[in-house]
Amino acid sequence: MRSVPDRRPLFEGYEPLPGSFDEFVDAQGRPHESVSGVVQRLDELGRAEFKRRKKLADATFLRGGVTFSTYSGDTATERIFPFDLIPRVIAAREWQRVESGLRQRIQALNLFLSDVYGAQRILEEGIVPRSLVESSTGYRKAMRGVRPPGGVYIHIAGIDLIRDATGEFVVLEDNVRTPSGVSYVLENRDMMKRVFPSVFRECSVAPVELYPTVLREAMGDVAPRDEGDAQRVLLTPGPFNSAYFEHSFLARRIGCELVQGSDLFVDSDRVYAKTTHGLRAVDVIYRRVDDEFLDPEVFREDSLVGVPGLVRAYAAGNVALVNAIGNGIADDKAIYPWVPEMIRFYLSEDPILPQVPTHQCAREQDLRYVLEHLEELVVKAVNEAGGYGMLMGPTASRKQRAEFSERIRVQPRNYIAQPRIELSGSPTWTRGGVQPRRVDLRPFVVTGKRSWVLPGGLTRVALVKGSYVVNSSQGGGSKDTWVVGGGGAA
Amino acid sequence: MICRVAESCFWVARYIERVDTLARLLTVNNGFQLDVRASQAEVWRPIVIVAGQEEEFLASLGASAIDDGEAVQEYLTWDREHPSSIYASLRWARENARTVREVMSVETWESINETWLWLTSRAARRLYLRERGAFYDRLSKECMLFHGVCYSTMLHEDPYVFMKLGRAVERVGQTARILDVKHHSLGDGPGEDDPAETAQWLAVLRSHCAVDAFFQRGASPLTGPAIAGFLLFDRAFPRAVLHNLDRARGLLSRLVRDDPPGLARPSWERLERLRGSLLQMDAAFVQELGLHRVLTRIVDDTASLCDAIHLDYLDPPVETLLRGARHLRAVRPAAALQTA
Repeated sequence: MRSVPDRRPLFEGYEPLPGSFDEFVDAQGRPHESVSGVVQRLDELGRAEFKRRKKLADATFLRGGVTFSTYSGDTATERIFPFDLIPRVIAAREWQRVESGLRQRIQALNLFLSDVYGAQRILEEGIVPRSLVESSTGYRKAMRGVRPPGGVYIHIAGIDLIRDATGEFVVLEDNVRTPSGVSYVLENRDMMKRVFPSVFRECSVAPVELYPTVLREAMGDVAPRDEGDAQRVLLTPGPFNSAYFEHSFLARRIGCELVQGSDLFVDSDRVYAKTTHGLRAVDVIYRRVDDEFLDPEVFREDSLVGVPGLVRAYAAGNVALVNAIGNGIADDKAIYPWVPEMIRFYLSEDPILPQVPTHQCAREQDLRYVLEHLEELVVKAVNEAGGYGMLMGPTASRKQRAEFSERIRVQPRNYIAQPRIELSGSPTWTRGGVQPRRVDLRPFVVTGKRSWVLPGGLTRVALVKGSYVVNSSQGGGSKDTWVVGGGGAA
Repeated sequence: MICRVAESCFWVARYIERVDTLARLLTVNNGFQLDVRASQAEVWRPIVIVAGQEEEFLASLGASAIDDGEAVQEYLTWDREHPSSIYASLRWARENARTVREVMSVETWESINETWLWLTSRAARRLYLRERGAFYDRLSKECMLFHGVCYSTMLHEDPYVFMKLGRAVERVGQTARILDVKHHSLGDGPGEDDPAETAQWLAVLRSHCAVDAFFQRGASPLTGPAIAGFLLFDRAFPRAVLHNLDRARGLLSRLVRDDPPGLARPSWERLERLRGSLLQMDAAFVQELGLHRVLTRIVDDTASLCDAIHLDYLDPPVETLLRGARHLRAVRPAAALQTA
């Protein structure tokens, strides 16, 4: 006997998280104006149909190899990256403000890098403490005086935003070294178009597909030589890197070669690729290898994924690196509290996007406050990413808090603390129907001769009920992000 | 193209070819048991030898297992440890493809990925247990599909050329090895009237998908020398040795065309030598020299041809690269920009 298909509307019984902003409904449970079109169309599909389409999406990801491997014993299992089919919707009007805020922030951070590796005015004037910069693991002293082509340090940025309880977008974290995740934005969008063609058509969603083209152009903008088309490559640590899928995907879409360190070779301060027809000069390297592994002659000697001599070629101005070396000083979590000051100092403007109030444990009075209020705060190690090295004060055990306060006392420079922000909730498909899960947003900014902001970005979602951690390494998934209502559909 | 990427393309095709060959060999051997009243040992041992696995097989499963068709098939199909089982070959084909999927088409990658996902699924294992022939047949067809998808969706440029080259040299080696099955099971005797031997030669033809092609040549008797001659020298038959050497020559000449003038390529010379020596032979000459000797020579020369291809293109030493020309600009525009 066949069971009757479940035609109940998708959002029936949806209850937003208490105390958080909800991405779909207001305090009265009515859909926000900007999302009502999307809600209505998804609702009409009904649960059974939604499930059917989810299966289709999963199968397509699996076939396409949009997967990662998990190992148990000697058998590897392929799993697809968790992807939620209910889009996260942002009104175009609201997005405009975010976009100008992001441009402003990137401009200031780029000027900061240019200053720190140049005249150091901001340090001379005591606006940012010199000791903080010089003690940062992201600071590359050797890069002082090396000006990257076009003066661009941050070609690609991923700035993590969250929405606080009032619904305002707030900067949580900057990523200006090798931010990842954009391939999921493009893959997710592709999938949404396949799975919900009609919903998509009717909602006038801002397109994201321009990203590879813009990046390709930006790479051309910073090429050291003007003659002909620049030779671009994407440098990956290799197929065992967890982001290899993304490296391969981007190389394909940009239309450049994907190389590993051993495929490149430096001779007389010029970088060459080893090709089947001899050496071929390389002009621009989009590198997904961290600074310290980039060149065993200058940084870590034991690096097997780097290119000996690369830094010499870079300093000689013969090759552009995307992003520049030494950007880690700009997204150091300990420097983050000073970004609003940077914006005022370099641009004489007020920051458009607010950021989370942050205690810098290197400061005596902050340290005292943090140690006394651990149970209210989120503590982060400044050199960690991916949700590691973190203490969620409100939910941590007494023992965890004790351990952390010991660590903070030993190395205060390495820790910052912030109040826990109630991340906004977004309707997400779960086994128990549609329920709110916490989300953040990583928009991407690409800079060559000018800056371009990808409309939307990667929405990461904490799939575990009650969780605040959106990182894919810790039970996070992703959603497509729709900027709607701006006219000009994809 | 990047040498390492060329190397992976070359190996993707070689591994796929190994899957195909082994699948056909095993399925034909299953059918062959029905044709003659041979002991199980005569049927299965040669396959293990041809796969180059006799020592490892005996060491891990013991002497009695080599007469056991089920044990041999299980080993050559599913064994994860030894590198030339169907499972391992497909795994490496897919792993190499994953590493260089930026130079393949989406369709090429999906074809290989789907085959792998199927082989590792419960459905595949079930089919293997219930309907052996259908299982191997599906694998063979998936391999052919792969070649067709490459042909129809990839740019016919360097990555494709290296894949085709890998397939051509692998086929030369595999055809020579399968012909050698005959040597290992029956020796070099003439035995034209022996029905068991005729059946075995027919099986050799079948495992090359060559039954119809052979009979379409007319007049040839179903004898060892005629069949060996066909599989060595017929330039129109896609799995014949000479046909694949012709293919390899065409592919290498495409690569040489883009070389800077005056650059010597040892791979080209080795291929010309091997091909030249085969062009001077015929079936009668092979008979005289002994088939096994000729085949051994082909297998060895192909191996050294592959070494030369590695040194010339796939993993050249830095000194070689430095001696070669430097292109300050691309020889031709890099991989065309894919439309999103």
